[in-house]
Amino acid sequence: MDNSGKEKEAMALMAEAETKVKSSQSFFGALFGGSSKLEEACDLYVRAANSYKMAKNWCEAINCLNRAIEIYTDMGRFTIAAKHHITIAEIYETDLVDIDKAIAHYEQAADYYKGEESTSSANKCLLKVATYAAQLEQYPKAIEIYEQVGCHAMDSTLLKYSAKDHFFKAALCHFCVDMLNAKLAVQKYEEMFPAFSDSRECKLLKKLLDAYEEQNVDAYTDSVKEYDTISRLDQWLTTMLLRIKKTIQDDESDLR
Amino acid sequence: MAYPKSHNPFADDDDEDFKPKSRGFGDNNDDDSDDGLTDAEKRQRYLQREVIRTAQSAVDSSYRSMGLIYESEKMGVETAEELVRQGEVLKRTDKMMDNMDQDLKTSQRHISSIKSVWGGLVNYFKGKPETKPPPEEPKAYQASEKLQSAMSGSREYEDKYQASHPNLRRINTEGFGGATSMDDGSSRQNGFSKNKHLKEAHQTLDNNLDDMSDGLKRLKNLGLGLQSEIEAQDDSIDSLLNRVDKMDMKIHNTNQQIKKLK
Repeated sequence: MDNSGKEKEAMALMAEAETKVKSSQSFFGALFGGSSKLEEACDLYVRAANSYKMAKNWCEAINCLNRAIEIYTDMGRFTIAAKHHITIAEIYETDLVDIDKAIAHYEQAADYYKGEESTSSANKCLLKVATYAAQLEQYPKAIEIYEQVGCHAMDSTLLKYSAKDHFFKAALCHFCVDMLNAKLAVQKYEEMFPAFSDSRECKLLKKLLDAYEEQNVDAYTDSVKEYDTISRLDQWLTTMLLRIKKTIQDDESDLR
Repeated sequence: MAYPKSHNPFADDDDEDFKPKSRGFGDNNDDDSDDGLTDAEKRQRYLQREVIRTAQSAVDSSYRSMGLIYESEKMGVETAEELVRQGEVLKRTDKMMDNMDQDLKTSQRHISSIKSVWGGLVNYFKGKPETKPPPEEPKAYQASEKLQSAMSGSREYEDKYQASHPNLRRINTEGFGGATSMDDGSSRQNGFSKNKHLKEAHQTLDNNLDDMSDGLKRLKNLGLGLQSEIEAQDDSIDSLLNRVDKMDMKIHNTNQQIKKLK
């Protein structure tokens, strides 16, 4: 089987990397260019991790990447450490479905990118954190991130077209918590960002708020359907809208 | 033009009749009054249905176009985000090149001081190489203010455009209103209801066209923004290439010098 071949290769690479690290820490290693040994060790760890990934041995791959990240952060090379954090987070996202750990790694990657002043890469990671946080009902965290990214996008000529999306998602998270929050939030965003009021997202939000006030599930469903005919709703949006719809239906049944 | 599809492709022989129909149904009735109003009525109703059908298909196609425009905007937005990220990477690379420059200068000093005592003295008098101040953040495009004012200006223009619509709608009602006065009572009722549907269809179509024009405006501005960003990045890539080439040579030379020292 090809997998076992890759695994053996991976184990060999990892062993080699470990010896390099140890030798760089010894007296003579530190004298004669310990740093280059460390760099080679990092490289070997990353290659080992790739081989483990191909062999689908996710735990070992993550282990190798963690070791590589340690060495990179010691050397002060945070960008590449952030890249590896993202790789690990992706593994947790898709293969080893562990969303909490994925969030943690994305957050760490975003911190490193912020430190290196790569705001857009940091925002990319933060948006992933917010998506998963909202799915796990950690709404305050998600709201904060969406508002922060939205405000940052507002000011840029190119990114301002995506700002309305971020405010829309933030408003939906507010809505999941409390309708009044959502109303105030929509007003705030309209003041901050006038172009938001023209967008279809804002119009949809207002229709949903009205439907919620009137406790009218049909109006809610109709406006969502209307929006869907023009722009398909993705998985995340559908989940959030269903949650909000459930609160309307629960309120209705409570009153009865 | 008030009617986007006034040419009914199915009724070839009725083309000339169709247009007058939209303005007034008088002519047709006069011609067929001998055969009985039923034939003319049938034809009239058929054509009325055709009108509504084509209006409806126009509305549907406008919905599809709107969807496509929004999809393009989404893709443009994602492209913009990726471009901005790449721009930041280029900036960082530039900063790294500055650092490398500094490091090479320092190593050059060390090498010359190792090579000879005289070189060391020269270094002492030359003093430390000044660290370059970090390049300031590029100012936000001044175009952003222009774009904001353009967006608010387009909103005012939109209001004026809306105001011109009631005129178009009046032509609709006049045409059908004139027809119904000539026909029987039953067909008058039918004509009136179709009139309403047609009005609604045309109103939806107008709204959609407004949205489409807004979307296209945004797409245009987005495209222009992308173009200027790409041009700026092109320039920085070119300058980076030059610096990297020079750096390569310097590193090569430094390596040679160190080898000679050995």
